[in-house]
Amino acid sequence: MHSDTLIARAKQGDKNAQGKLVQLWYKRIYNFSYKFFLDHDLAMEAAQKTFISMCRNIEGLQDIARFKSWLYKIAVNYCREEARKKKNSRWVPFENVINIEAEESPRWEGSSVRSDNPERKFQQVELSDILQRSLMELSAEQREVVIMKEFEGLKFREIAEVLNVSENTVKSRMYYGLDGLKKILEKNNITKETISYEL
Amino acid sequence: MSYKPDESVLMAYLYGELSGEEKSAVEKYLKENPTAMKELESLQHIRKMLAAVSDKEVIAPPIVVEDSKQRFFWNAPYFKTISAIAASLLLLMVAGKMLDIQVNYSGNEVSMRFGKPATDKIVETLPQGLTTEQVQKMINSSMLQNNKIVQASLNETQDKLDASIRKNMAMNSTRVNNLVQEASRASQDEIRRFVATLQDQNQQVVKDYFQLSTNEQQTYIEGLLVDFSKYLQQQRKNDLEVIQTRLVSVEQNNSVFKQEAEQILASIIANGAAPNTSTTKSY
Repeated sequence: MHSDTLIARAKQGDKNAQGKLVQLWYKRIYNFSYKFFLDHDLAMEAAQKTFISMCRNIEGLQDIARFKSWLYKIAVNYCREEARKKKNSRWVPFENVINIEAEESPRWEGSSVRSDNPERKFQQVELSDILQRSLMELSAEQREVVIMKEFEGLKFREIAEVLNVSENTVKSRMYYGLDGLKKILEKNNITKETISYEL
Repeated sequence: MSYKPDESVLMAYLYGELSGEEKSAVEKYLKENPTAMKELESLQHIRKMLAAVSDKEVIAPPIVVEDSKQRFFWNAPYFKTISAIAASLLLLMVAGKMLDIQVNYSGNEVSMRFGKPATDKIVETLPQGLTTEQVQKMINSSMLQNNKIVQASLNETQDKLDASIRKNMAMNSTRVNNLVQEASRASQDEIRRFVATLQDQNQQVVKDYFQLSTNEQQTYIEGLLVDFSKYLQQQRKNDLEVIQTRLVSVEQNNSVFKQEAEQILASIIANGAAPNTSTTKSY
């Protein structure tokens, strides 16, 4: 995705290199945060803070090879911080106000890109929504691991570094995370048979 | 000896992070245990489903990082901690000085007091050798005495209260009477004044009205008289003109008659001058 020289230049204080790193990694960190919160604003907030922190502290990065886990460590910390703030604040975003009618209606507005098979596209979007909502039902510890492993493609060793726990703990959280997801989906009647058309 | 991989090994196998002997051991175990195999397959299926979750597109906003600020030693965390502790100690010392705290440690006893040590406690000593009855009597007598005093003070207070209430009542009633009288007097005067002003106003209005109406009538009658005299004059003038024209016509008639009479006379005269001829001719 990027060469070590880019990180090395950024480490030496090269603003251009830092900007390129932001461009390269922003989508990944945003999507990690988005899946963690299922909220665009919070994800943007966490991602921006992560990259501000990255630019400020990259000079202190010891091992260039560990840049990825170092960056995700910052992101995880900011996600946890935002989650704590959200939990403590009494403010409820307007979008979160329960609107049964809107929740039950299909998301027509969301279909932005035209697809050859609109029905299939709609089913995929619907399944994606269900899966992301199911992820939110997991504990934060399990969710972090599942997102980093499944969507961000980190190795168990890297996740252990990010979370500062043992590799076995990460694997165990992953196992219970997947098992939890299976149970949540079964509870919502989403099984292998019901969505066979998707896969 | 049966081998049973734990969750972490199963996860490593599921994500292809196992190799060598451990991997083959797990594969063997799964072959022998269809339940475990099914369980792992279901987790694999969840993984496949998760692949349906797509990434959201996002544009990275510009990240502006200020240059690192100049760090002064008083901004350093350790300086802040030390100064906080020093400030707390100073506060404690000042508070201690103000409250005059004295802490003593003597033997195994720690004592802390504010201000000077208190003087020896006054301990009332009761006379020794009193019996229960005597004590009871003393209590009774003191109770009686106390009751009397309380009763007396109660009575006194009651009397004072009654007197003050009566006094207040009397004072208030006279005040109220005075107030009512003043009010009534004031109201009578006001009514009189009001009526007088009303009368004055009415008189003025009537006077003005009459004056206005007489003036108007006068001017009207004057106008009427003037008009009437004008009319009369006009009438007279017309009559005179009529009379004049009549007279002129009479005069004209007279002159006509006169002429006719003259003509007739002339013709008669002419006829008289030649009667024979005329008579003969006429016969």
